[in-house]
Amino acid sequence: MPPEEAVTFPSLENEDEEEQPYSFAVEYTGPPVPYDLPRAVPINVEKIPVATVVSKVPLSNTELHIPVVPPILAPDRNKLSKELLLQPTVSPTSVIAFEERVSEDTNNCLLSGELSSYESGELAELINNNDNSSRRLGACSVSNEHSSMLDYCDSFGKSRESSSRARVSNDDDLNQPDWGSNESVLSLDYPSSRVSSRKTGDCNNESNADIKRPQVVTFRDIESDDGLDEEFGQDEVQPQVARVKREPQTKGKKGSCYRCFKGNRFTEKEVCIVCDAKYCSNCVLGAMGSMPEGRKCVTCIGFPIDEAKRGSLGKCSRMLKRLFIDLEVRQIMKAEKLCEANQLPPEYICVNGQPLCHEELAILQSCPIPPKKLKPGNYWYDKVSGLWGKEGQKPSMIISPHLNVGGSIRPDASSGNTQIFINGREITKVELRMLQLAGVQVAGNPHFWVNEDGSYQEEGQKNMKGYIWGKAGMKLVCAVLSLPVPSKSSNPGGELLNSMSGRSVPDYLEQRILQKILLVGSTGSGSSTIFKQAKILYKDVPFSEDERENIKLTIQSNVYGYLGILLEGRERFEEESLAEMRKRACSKDTDPEGSIDDGDGKTIYSIGLRLKEFSDWLLKTMVSGHLETIFLAATREYAPLIEELWKDAAIQATYNRRSELEMLPSVASYYLERAVEILKMDYEPSDLDILYAEGVTSSNGLACVDFSFPQSLCDENIGTADQHDSLLRYQLIRVQARGLGENCKWLEMFEDIGMVIFCVALSDYDQFSADGTNKMLLSRKFFESIVTHPTFDQMDFLLILNKFDQFEEKVEQVPLTRCEWFDDFHPLISRHRTNTNSNSINNNPTHGQLAFHYIAVKFKRLYSSLTGRKLYVSLLKGLEPKSVDAALKFAREILKWDEERANFSLSEHSFYSTEASSFSH
Amino acid sequence: MSVPELKERHAAATETVNNLRERLRQRRNELLDTDVAGYARSQGRSPVTFGPTDLVCCRILQGHTGKVYSLDWTPERNRIVSASQDGRLIVWNALTSQKTHAIKLPCAWVMTCAFSPTGQSVACGGLDSMCSIFNLNSLTDRDGNLPVSKTLSGHKGYVSCCQYVPNEDIHIITSSGDQTCVLWDITTGLRTSIFGGEFQSGHTADVLSVSINASDSRTFVSGSCDATARLWDTRAASRAVRTFHGHEGDVNTVKFFPDGNRFGTGSDDGTCRLFDIRTGHQLQVYHQQHGDNEVPHVTSIAFSISGRLLFAGYSNGNCYVWDTLLAKVVLNLGSPQNSHEGRISCLGLSADGSALCTGSWDTNLKIWAFGGNRRVI
Repeated sequence: MPPEEAVTFPSLENEDEEEQPYSFAVEYTGPPVPYDLPRAVPINVEKIPVATVVSKVPLSNTELHIPVVPPILAPDRNKLSKELLLQPTVSPTSVIAFEERVSEDTNNCLLSGELSSYESGELAELINNNDNSSRRLGACSVSNEHSSMLDYCDSFGKSRESSSRARVSNDDDLNQPDWGSNESVLSLDYPSSRVSSRKTGDCNNESNADIKRPQVVTFRDIESDDGLDEEFGQDEVQPQVARVKREPQTKGKKGSCYRCFKGNRFTEKEVCIVCDAKYCSNCVLGAMGSMPEGRKCVTCIGFPIDEAKRGSLGKCSRMLKRLFIDLEVRQIMKAEKLCEANQLPPEYICVNGQPLCHEELAILQSCPIPPKKLKPGNYWYDKVSGLWGKEGQKPSMIISPHLNVGGSIRPDASSGNTQIFINGREITKVELRMLQLAGVQVAGNPHFWVNEDGSYQEEGQKNMKGYIWGKAGMKLVCAVLSLPVPSKSSNPGGELLNSMSGRSVPDYLEQRILQKILLVGSTGSGSSTIFKQAKILYKDVPFSEDERENIKLTIQSNVYGYLGILLEGRERFEEESLAEMRKRACSKDTDPEGSIDDGDGKTIYSIGLRLKEFSDWLLKTMVSGHLETIFLAATREYAPLIEELWKDAAIQATYNRRSELEMLPSVASYYLERAVEILKMDYEPSDLDILYAEGVTSSNGLACVDFSFPQSLCDENIGTADQHDSLLRYQLIRVQARGLGENCKWLEMFEDIGMVIFCVALSDYDQFSADGTNKMLLSRKFFESIVTHPTFDQMDFLLILNKFDQFEEKVEQVPLTRCEWFDDFHPLISRHRTNTNSNSINNNPTHGQLAFHYIAVKFKRLYSSLTGRKLYVSLLKGLEPKSVDAALKFAREILKWDEERANFSLSEHSFYSTEASSFSH
Repeated sequence: MSVPELKERHAAATETVNNLRERLRQRRNELLDTDVAGYARSQGRSPVTFGPTDLVCCRILQGHTGKVYSLDWTPERNRIVSASQDGRLIVWNALTSQKTHAIKLPCAWVMTCAFSPTGQSVACGGLDSMCSIFNLNSLTDRDGNLPVSKTLSGHKGYVSCCQYVPNEDIHIITSSGDQTCVLWDITTGLRTSIFGGEFQSGHTADVLSVSINASDSRTFVSGSCDATARLWDTRAASRAVRTFHGHEGDVNTVKFFPDGNRFGTGSDDGTCRLFDIRTGHQLQVYHQQHGDNEVPHVTSIAFSISGRLLFAGYSNGNCYVWDTLLAKVVLNLGSPQNSHEGRISCLGLSADGSALCTGSWDTNLKIWAFGGNRRVI
């Protein structure tokens, strides 16, 4: 366009091409626009109000009355809201005790003002923004709450009149000088907020005529539950958690469907449990979609529900039943009840002044006598007696004692003024009356110590004085005074704790607390042994009937396999010895007196005809690879033969030379020794048998087991903090290296796991795979590929060096340098050891331990060179349950440490780094 | 013959094979004087044009809480089964976006799912190395879970893909990480034939995908981590009919062209390719140049009903619509406001070709339909 070009700077453009050409605003000459142009309002510096000094208020120590704004009745809601509105907009920095509500109202009101000009999509965004800001306001104001409360106390009276003045000024179309009057009211004001407040004023003015405007102020239902007077009179401290209420967006008339704007208040509608939007049956499916979290608008999915609607959770309406098939309705209702977003947010419940966390809420809800109808709010809880009540009120019930929830009880928890204390809480008058009726001596303001069974004693004294609720008629008295009595089912505290740990966690919590541990290792690294150990260690029923049956079959076919190898060996040995014999015979032949019939094929490796038959059959099936399919028949037919075969001298002779049979795994002798027993039909594998068995878990590519660490004695010594741990559930997932493929395609499925345990068999260092590579080097390669996999970025790794028992023996005979990766292993200690060989109890580490540390350091170096982080290493003897238990507990500690690490700044400090330095060369 | 001697001979043989393969490739390249796009251009064809409303997202299927890994449509057009890492299969009504079944799986690590031709049952497979069949008509147990009606076990690696043989509910073909594909008889639960494996001329790495020829259900192709695709005949399992080289990365997905004479592939090298099964030639490469060196993988592909369009999901969240004739991207479903936020892991076209469903790691599925008056192509 020519006029624009006229005002650009060509020189600038040449000099710097990236720079946008500057242009000056040209006066608008086009046709008049139909809309209002925004205009900057000049600020009069004199008129910017400044903070006024708050006059000192005499403040009584105990009874500080915090004013609470009463809920406003419907008819004059709009009018009053305007009054309310003006106060916070005046000073957003000193928001008051009920700040979150007020600021929210402002936001909502602001919105309503702009509603006419915004599209609904933007509106939703705006709501979100405002939600955030109000939350922030709520949060930041907590810190200076005290002062601002005072501030407010002081000016509360005045604010009313001034706000009414402000209202008058609203009607006068809000000219600026009027705002000066606010100076006296509270405190500062700055231009931006003035603009916004002005808008609210505007909107309020318009809104009188505008029907479409939504309700400006909606109070949270919790407050409105309580009566108006109560709210005003009581100095109840509001929960300090800002809560957000989602507002539905509607343009329709009152009572109509929020989506199609049709219908009236009498048509049947479904209500969103978050924002209270109502939809007619035609629109429900469109507005709520597939209801993954129950009856929520699509936009509300993921938001916490309206607490007032908690009661109706999972209760299906007739309309839904009509719309969906039965199964679907059930699924939706189940989702509504159990999905995480709909659960009671634990931070809304304060016990003894401390908001709960998830675990605490779980404890509270899953205890034998849980509080009835738990609603958000402040509660006090007497952990010794189990008394439970609303903050500032008399006890409402007696729940399970000794639950580790919330803080410690405060003396003024129930706002008693009787000077008599029970378990450190000053009791109320009603309770005192009850004590008097129960015949408890209350003269002299005693401090009582009451147990959950009602037995009480005076503080500092040993002897039990009696039972509060023991007297006949106490139940009646309590009922009259509406005080709780302990229920009969309450157990003594000791049993309670134990039953706690065995208690199942609610369904929705289970998912969240589950910590996943991935267990990987190349074949033969013993990862399946660890997996089986974990099952045996932590499960009540480690293997189901079916599993045992399968395992039995696997073991038996394994044993047949071992036997086959033995028989094969026997044939070889027989041939060898026959050949030798023949050779000897030949040499004897030269001797005239040598007799040939000595060599009729009988050696110590020869077997009888029947056994020979069986042996041939077995070897044939083994070669054809159908051992699994035929061996069932074998068990039936040949079981008696096995005993004969095993006892045969030839087999025994072969067995004695088993070290020459490379095919025979070392574990085979464990089974072969008991072959007769195992191959019987009624054989039941013991846990140890299962542990030793090969191929029990590897038939599947993946196996997982859920478990939680049982509370052992030492855990209890640590204290109650560990009580949560029993709730934590772990899932050990074992994947086979073979299934991982070359580039570990599906490892990305495991991005939600907590840590990876990588398993390496120490004894592999002198083993070679089929193509001649050292198995340790293969493990290293695999380790590298796993560690550097993008899915495991920033993941913790625990390296388990397994089969230490075998390794210790082996390293004495075969030098560690057999593996080229370890060629610089020169233990200094070897000289010493010759002296102290006889007893290794002294401080000198054994050769095996040295080698282990050396390998650990090798891996640590490798790991840190790949990732720059520290590797955790643990030593393991897979066949010893204690060793596996210790390693898995170590893994748990790492996970826990991981969670806590955020709180500590010493993240780069590892306890285990010392090992690395001591073996550096 | 001693072991080193054998090794030597093996090495020599491998080299010969590689030489021959290379010569074959060169010969092919000599013969291949044009590709589809070049020919189409010379014929004066113009690419398909898409307006902003021609393909719009009309449904969002929400309900999974984990990454969606796989989806499949029923032949009678309006139902979808999807598999997700939350350990569930969900059967959706695509028209109303309602869930008709939510099946909790015994093994949460599911990679694939398939609808049977009659729509009576669904199959799924994953890291448990088994293919599980669920009959949708069977009664749920006390917890509201659908029981497994059949497990097909025998694979030694994860089950990466499964597809029912068209027009019969009793046969299914699975591909697995154990380098084989298997044709199963569902009624007996036994393997009918095994394609590839130890002694046969099969894939030399994990098989990731299978696609059965719609016009001749006795042939199917498989794509594998060995960067090849292979064509198989179910009657002759012993060896692959043909091996298709060309890709430089794992072949993640294969899909038969609607006419049954060609098939498309998608790979980790960021390209989609079109192969002809009769000549064994590579007909076309579909490759979009990217400025940065990070090449997005092709995760899943689907052809439109006429074959003119190729939908390809990429690991960076893009979903290109290619004009198969001119090898041009005509639309990117990853760019609109309401597109997926994560990687597009699977996509599928409804049987009548009127709608496309995409599944993503952002846990949602979206249904895209040809909007307005546009003819389905």
